[in-house]
Amino acid sequence: MKKRGFWVNATKFCREFISKPQGRLGLIILGLFIFVAVAAPILTPYDPIDDLYLAEGMAKPAWAKVLPGNSKLPVTVHTRLGFNEWQVASGEDLHNAEEIKENAFAIKTTPGEFSKLVHDVNYKTDPPGNFHFETRYSIDASEETTTVLAFVIVDPNGKEWRLWEKKIFGSLKPQDLLIDSRQLDLKTRLGLTIFDEASKVIFAKKGQYKVLLRAYSEGEPAIITMEPVAVNIQGKLHGVLGADHMGGDLWSQLIYGARISLIIGIVAALIAVFIGTAIGIASGYIGGFVDEFFMRLADVMLSIPTMPVLIILSSLIGKNIWNVVILIALFSWTSTARIVRSQTLTLKERAFVEAARASGASKTYTMLVHILPNVIPLVFAALVLLIPGAILYEATLSFLGLGDPTTPTWGRMLHNARSFGAFTMRAWWWILPPGLAITLLSLSFVFIGNTLDEILNPRNKERA
Amino acid sequence: MNFSSYILRRVVYALIVLVVIVTINFFIFRVMPGDPVRMIIDPKWTPEMKAALYEQYGLTKPLHEQFFIYLKSLLTLDLGLSFTSSRPVMDELLERLPNTVLLLGIALFIEILIGISIGIFAASKRGSSIESFVTGAGLFTHAVPTFFLQLVLLLIFGFVIPIFPIRGTMAAPPPVGGWAQFLDRVHHLILPVFSLVVINFGSWALYTRNAMVEALGQDYIITARAKGLTKKRVLRHHAFRSILPPIVTLIFLSLPSIISGAVVTETIFSWYGVGRYLLDATMKQDYPAAQGAFYFIALATIICNFVADIVYGLVDPRIRVGGGEGK
Repeated sequence: MKKRGFWVNATKFCREFISKPQGRLGLIILGLFIFVAVAAPILTPYDPIDDLYLAEGMAKPAWAKVLPGNSKLPVTVHTRLGFNEWQVASGEDLHNAEEIKENAFAIKTTPGEFSKLVHDVNYKTDPPGNFHFETRYSIDASEETTTVLAFVIVDPNGKEWRLWEKKIFGSLKPQDLLIDSRQLDLKTRLGLTIFDEASKVIFAKKGQYKVLLRAYSEGEPAIITMEPVAVNIQGKLHGVLGADHMGGDLWSQLIYGARISLIIGIVAALIAVFIGTAIGIASGYIGGFVDEFFMRLADVMLSIPTMPVLIILSSLIGKNIWNVVILIALFSWTSTARIVRSQTLTLKERAFVEAARASGASKTYTMLVHILPNVIPLVFAALVLLIPGAILYEATLSFLGLGDPTTPTWGRMLHNARSFGAFTMRAWWWILPPGLAITLLSLSFVFIGNTLDEILNPRNKERA
Repeated sequence: MNFSSYILRRVVYALIVLVVIVTINFFIFRVMPGDPVRMIIDPKWTPEMKAALYEQYGLTKPLHEQFFIYLKSLLTLDLGLSFTSSRPVMDELLERLPNTVLLLGIALFIEILIGISIGIFAASKRGSSIESFVTGAGLFTHAVPTFFLQLVLLLIFGFVIPIFPIRGTMAAPPPVGGWAQFLDRVHHLILPVFSLVVINFGSWALYTRNAMVEALGQDYIITARAKGLTKKRVLRHHAFRSILPPIVTLIFLSLPSIISGAVVTETIFSWYGVGRYLLDATMKQDYPAAQGAFYFIALATIICNFVADIVYGLVDPRIRVGGGEGK
């Protein structure tokens, strides 16, 4: 019977909520952010913190190519050259290569002859920033066999750039192969000085490039096994929102920022509301000294300048997201305590509470069983209205550089934008999205909170 | 309860808050990792030299004794020396105070002027588009992070269309001549003041509008209208008069959060003020400076709250003439 009443009420409540345009709009925006937060790994392949040097620092977004002056900018390339990507170039022989698993491949050399794998690239833009190639390889050959492996780029003029070359006697256990354009020995091998940028020299021309994997053995046939080659060419155009100063992906930072902001806002508000409700009920119901103490405490909290104290405290114990959350909560409970206290004071005089008291219920029991359920709707609205404040506090602290450096937050994005030259670059794609995201998310909670308050607050009901 | 006992209660209350803040301030900086002396000494120093320095800073004394020394120095407004500049923190703060007061004062004045005017106008035109504008502006205040709006303004008017300076309180070197210097100050003030006004006028407008609507529904307004007074006169002389006291109180009550917000505004515009000093000191782990700046800001907050209470008492006749419970 009671349960059914609850469902009827809940349905009525939902219908009333949906009927308010503000509530509807708030729910839609919030739903969008929740979707983004949940689907983050699908929406971006990169890790917002750990994946660095994906592109040149301050790379523009990929769509900026259509803007005037950007058409020749190099695009970042992230690809894996597996078996299917390697081909036989015209006039060359591809000797005995075969796929073994998941695009990894094996080459069986013929002694005294070159085996070549070729990948053609039509390169039409300006030289990129750094590049690197990464793979793992092993060689299976007899003791007497000598194998020479080389990684070569052939430019449109036919000039060969030998990026890597190794002579191996006999077999070799699986090894990492890393070619990075910043390596000094690479520059020396190519005849460059340490001040030259290898990528600028190699990719100076526009046209057909060839990436060449060349193997040669003497003695008996050698079997070279190689995993797909991960290619990373850092361009000046990258992804949806470009790259930050470290070549990190801004889009993934924006996407994962939704998670963090939602969690921070909700958890901080939950803690604050929990403290506020407990104090509010205790003050209102017990009264006397307890009431006086807690209300004076609330007054003192309100007299402490929040932002300065948060700055000092988070610089001392911050640098960890949960510390920041707890700090924000500790300075946000007062409003809830006030609302709950006044509601408790009216509830205290109601007949059912008097009846409970008369029949010998303990104070704790009365507070938990009779008062608490009746202040919950009010608390619920207060909770939602506290969330935007918590989100803004966290964003401001992170923006000031006092947040957790290992957590991708919107405030941190803006902090980096300000500290590392997004303004002089006029990189508005770096500055506007995180700020708009903070604004929209806060706004959605304000809308929902206002609607809840309108429906649930008894004060409004009386007026209506 | 008469007015003097009301004031007395408020004084006692302000003192309690002060003691709490001073205590927090003292202990925060005692529980943090590391110790303050380590920041300023050279690792090459001998243990004896270190001990002498600890002695000099009074760090060898028991904690309660340190606390009383600290209390005494605060009462004499001696905030110690900054670790980074070795100058008295009080001097550094006083040097920056006029800039902060100038920035916040001008911004507050303009936002109140605009906010209240729009609020009254909205109340006089119920159901018009100006009303939804006021509601929107109020929402804007709640949801848009101040620092974001400021960054956007800085991006637009400092970098894309560089018509305003991007940082600082005045040009370096400052221009010669009183008039040129004045114009330079104004030039640097426009962007930060504008950002604060845009963010905050909405909440003033919304509050004024709501208070006015309530006031206009009162019986004496209907009487005034029935007497044949013009709508304008009723609006200005009757309705607005009645909402003036709460607005004045609200202005003083809003000062603490405005002072709090100065940290962010001053940081973004590299404004040479108290708020930025607090953040810089915190970042550089210059503890005497951070502690001093926090004390300074907290003191200003307490004074503002106290003044708000007194003003409230003055404008609320129930308290001023001593009506109510105690009489």
